[in-house]
Formats: sequence, structure tokens, C-alpha cells
Amino acid sequence: MNGITASTAPWYASRAIGVVALVLLTGVMVLGVLINRQGRLPGLPQFAVTGLHRNISLLAVTFIAIHVVTAIMDTYVSIPVTSAVVPFTSGYERFWLGLGAVALDLMAALIVTSLVRRHLSRKLWRGVHWLAYVSWPVAFLHGVGASRDLQRGPLLGLAACCAFLVAAAVIWRLAAAAREVPRARRVSALMSGHAGRAGSGRPAASGRTAVGAGPSAGSRKPTAVS
Amino acid sequence: MSVTTLPMRGAGPDAVPQGPPVGLPRLLPPGGHVPEGLRDHLARHGALPYRGGCLRLIPDIEAAGLTGRGGASFPVHRKLAAVAGAGRRPFVVANGAESESASSKDVSLLWLAPHLVLDGIQLAAEAVGAAEACLYLHAGPDNHVAGALQRALAQRWNARIDRVAVHLAFAPPRFLAGQETALVNVLNGGLALPTYTPPRIFERGVGGAPTLVQNVETLAHIALIARYGAAWFRGVGTREEPGSMLCTVRHADGGPHIVEAAIGTPLSGLLHDDLRGDGTAQRTQAVLVGGYHGTWIPAARAAQLTLDNAALRNAGAALGAGIIAALPADRCGLAETARVASYLVLESAGQCGPCLNGLPRIAAALAELAGPRPGSRALANIERWAGLVSGRGACRHPDGATRFIGSALTVFAAEIGRHRRGVCSATTRAPFLPLPPGTATSDEDWS
Repeated sequence: MNGITASTAPWYASRAIGVVALVLLTGVMVLGVLINRQGRLPGLPQFAVTGLHRNISLLAVTFIAIHVVTAIMDTYVSIPVTSAVVPFTSGYERFWLGLGAVALDLMAALIVTSLVRRHLSRKLWRGVHWLAYVSWPVAFLHGVGASRDLQRGPLLGLAACCAFLVAAAVIWRLAAAAREVPRARRVSALMSGHAGRAGSGRPAASGRTAVGAGPSAGSRKPTAVS
Repeated sequence: MSVTTLPMRGAGPDAVPQGPPVGLPRLLPPGGHVPEGLRDHLARHGALPYRGGCLRLIPDIEAAGLTGRGGASFPVHRKLAAVAGAGRRPFVVANGAESESASSKDVSLLWLAPHLVLDGIQLAAEAVGAAEACLYLHAGPDNHVAGALQRALAQRWNARIDRVAVHLAFAPPRFLAGQETALVNVLNGGLALPTYTPPRIFERGVGGAPTLVQNVETLAHIALIARYGAAWFRGVGTREEPGSMLCTVRHADGGPHIVEAAIGTPLSGLLHDDLRGDGTAQRTQAVLVGGYHGTWIPAARAAQLTLDNAALRNAGAALGAGIIAALPADRCGLAETARVASYLVLESAGQCGPCLNGLPRIAAALAELAGPRPGSRALANIERWAGLVSGRGACRHPDGATRFIGSALTVFAAEIGRHRRGVCSATTRAPFLPLPPGTATSDEDWS
């Protein structure tokens, strides 16, 4: 292995920045998966989770841009500009770099739709945003497959950590969605539960009329106010 | 001073003289229920009086003393000046998304006098220097209104009346969708959820631009003030609260009526058949002023009050968005309030502690009071919890809900006593206050 010289600097930079980008994308992905209107991260208000998701994704975009530009600039292996965006056209590591191009294109779609979000319908924005669930795994495979950096040593541990975090977040989210009780049901449960407790020990259901009842089942005939 | 005229009467358009409208109605077209087209609008009010520059209209608005008609009664000139001075090119939103099912004055105005509102949007946009504007309203059952507005906008654009392009934006059918931070979230492509302020929307709103949100009725008043001047505007109303306002009046016998009334009009004039002038209740036991974030007032008290914040303040009430509902004597006020309270709980965004934990408990205890033989602690619990939820949260939903519920506890105190003995004075359980069907079950119901 050669040392870092002026001619090899972009090559090493691209590889190192690629690793950082993977960590950032993992952070974006985990926060994105956890963002839920009812959900909270411990110690963070909801707007902070959303803000963190947005800001880390912009940071990740910067790193990915540098990763791609340095990879193209580098002369150690020849990667044409078009291969950065058109999948499976590179001579070098055609399949693994192709995955990188796929991930890049998907991310571009995510970012552009988010930037012009107020001109789109929420349905369209949301539909495109689901592509993140394709984009991250593809980017991860690109990272693991395209170079041997992530295939051994501490960086393999890092890659495994990233995969574990995303998988755990998705599983947690799916489990939370399965447990989700519609708000109307939750509130009415709370209300009936409370009415039972506050009702001075009497069972809530026995002989009582429904919420918003008019005339009571009292002994006297209802009398109108005159 | 207190001119009471019901708008749905009067002569046909041909009989109306040109020039400033004399008396009332001012906003709604005279002579009935027919929407006023562009030609009739121009014949009645003349061309749109652009001022030819930013800020120039604001002194007129200030002299007129116009306040916001969306509920908060905030001075309009201060909002205009704040947005105009915010430093970036602002965005203007006409808020026609009245979310309360008890109110229909905004949609009526948009249907009957669309061009007055659209004039107001142009004038407000010019006053603050905005290049973009939108009209925010509920879709769904009001789609014929949206279609008519779309045609009116196209007609004005082709006639080169409008200088700023206005597009329509639609609110989800949620109670909070018209709240201004929720509105900004919708226009930014998000869910109709209120957010914490600051930043205030006049600093940072739609697309990050300073955003002016005005109720559609307020904008229609702006269009009239720009034409006929502040002195004309002050020709009706009180000195402190000049002008007229649209009210949704719900009589004890049912149907809602849209009434344009001078501010300061006696409530007994609006509810002439429901309240006797001498203060004795006829067929009405209480009057709800200001809607579901408003206040119950006993009928006898209401008969002595006038339609202005100065008078209503003494009764703990405010004009709000002009909802006046006379509760018939044959209904249970507690049951009505409990039904609306449950709706308010389900319509909360569920974001902040007061709405998530406080309001459901309050509504449950109120439901208990509305039923036979409530527990002894329910009343004290509501009062304690109401104190805990007020003044907190991202929006004023908990404050409004507790004001509404708290006034019911006072006004219907005797009824609580009857319920404790297992008796209710109501003879019918048919619901009186209108509630929309359905509640949100997923996030998509907020978009």
C-alpha cells in the first residue's frame, strides 16, 4: 500500500469520507425511522428530532458530494463522471459502484422533493420519501462491497453497528405501529376509566346512561325549566 | 349607533345606489342569497383602489380601527406593519378555514361576496409588499365554493385586476386546521399541527417568509375601508370597536343565520325571538358566545349585553369569530357541553401534555356531571385540572376548552345540583350544538 501523496490523496479522501457518510446516513435513517408524531426520543422534543434528521441529512449530502467528486477526480482508478449517476456503467467495480449510483439517484430524489416540499402534495412527498428504505440498504451494500475497508478490522465492526442500528430502529417502529391504538379509542378508554375511578367507588356501567345523556332515569319525572 | 339590520333582506341590486353602502349590510350583497359576480361587484363598489405602493394603506386601516375577525380581535394595522417591516418579501394568506361547525360566516362570505375578499387579498398584499398569496379553505362539502373561487380568480386575472397571483390551498377537516401555525405547516407541505412560537409566523412562516394571515372577513373589510375610508367604517359600531361583523346566529329553534351586525348591537336584537328585551328568558336558558372556545352566558344576563368585547368582557366572554347560539330551555346545558368537550379532546393535536393528559380527564369528569348522580369529586377535579392545563401547550386549545367548560359549570350550576339528585331538567336529548362527523385516526387525517 502506498502512502498519501498528491496523486493518491483523492483516493484516500474518497474512501475515508465514504465511511463518514455511511455513519451520517445511518444517523439520518435511524432518526427518520423513529420520527413519529406520537414518538419521542428520550430528552429530545419532537421538533429537535425532526431538525436533527434534516440537518444531519444535509451534512451527509455534503460528505457524499465530496465522496463522489474525489472518487471521480482520483486518477488511481478511472471512474467516468456519468458512472456516478448512471448505474452499472463504470469499468471499475461495475456492480458495487453501480449500487452507489443507484443510492445517489434515490437520495437526490429524496432531497429535491424535500426542498420543494411545499409545492408538492403531501402524498407525493411521502411516497418518494419511502425510497429511503431502499436507498440506505443499497448505499450500505455499495460501501461494504466496493472496497475492502469495511470488510475487516474495526471498520467491519462499525459497518455491523450501522446495520444493527437501522435494523433495530425499523423493528422498534414496526412493533410500535402494531401496538398503536387509534387516538379516539385511547381517549375514550381513558375517559371511561377515569369516570369509573372518580365515580365515588360505584361501577361506571351499572344503570348509567351514556355520555351526553339527557333525561335521567331518576325517580321524578323530568321537569322543564319555565 | 346600534343599527341592526338583517342582511338577507333589502332591495335588489338594481335599486342599490352607487357609492358607500348606507347602513347594513356592508359586506354581503344586498337582496338575498345570490352570489355577487365580478360585474355586479364592480358596479356596486367600483374599481379596486390600489395605493401604488407598500405601507400606504396601513394608516387608513389604523384610523379605521379594524380588528381581526377570525377570533382574536387583534388590531389589523399592527399585523400589517409587523409583516411589512420583517425584512423579507412576505407571503399573504387569506384564512377561510373556519373549523368550528357552529360557524359558517366565512364560507358564506366567500360564497356570496367572493370579490370583496379577493380585493382585500390584493390590497393587503400591496400594503405589505407581498408577491405571493393564497386562500386557505376547507375542501370537501364546500367544493362548490372552491370551484366558484377558482373561476373568480381566473376571471380577475384575465381582466388584469389582480397583480398578485392567488392560489387556493385546502385545509384538512380538523378543528385546529385554521390555527395559524397549523395553517403554515399545511402550506409548507406538512400536517395541520400547531407548533410552538416563537418564531412567530410574521417573522418566519410559509417557505420561511414573513407571513400575513388574515381572516377572509377582515380582508373584505379592508377592501371597503380602502374604498370608502376610515370615517365611513366608523359610521357603525362603537368608538372602541368600530365597524360591523358577521355573526353565525343559531336560534333556539334550530337553524343558523348569517347576520351582519354593527358591533355594539344588543344581543337581544340578534336573538330577538329567543331573548325577551326585559331580560326574562323565554325559550332560551343560556347563550353561547364565541363558539366552542367561548363562554356560556345565562339568558337573562345575555339579554342585557351588547355585541362588543367591552361589554362581553364583564361576562367573562369575547366576540371570538362571532358565534352566538341560544340554547333552548328543553336541553341539558351540561350534556351539550360534555358532548362538545369530548369532541374538543378528540380534535386536539395530541402533542402537548395539557391536551394529552389534562383535557381527557376534564371531559370525563364533565361527562360524569352530565349524567345522573355524579360523584362528589368530579366538580372539584375539573376546577383543579382546568387550572393545571391553562396557559400551556403550543396553541390556545386547552385555554379555549377550559374557558368553555368552566363557564358551563357556573351557568349550569343549578343543573349540576339537579343531576346530583338524579333529575335533569331537559326534556329532549336531541343534540343542539352541531359537531362534524369523524375524528382523526391516522396522521394522514391531518393532511
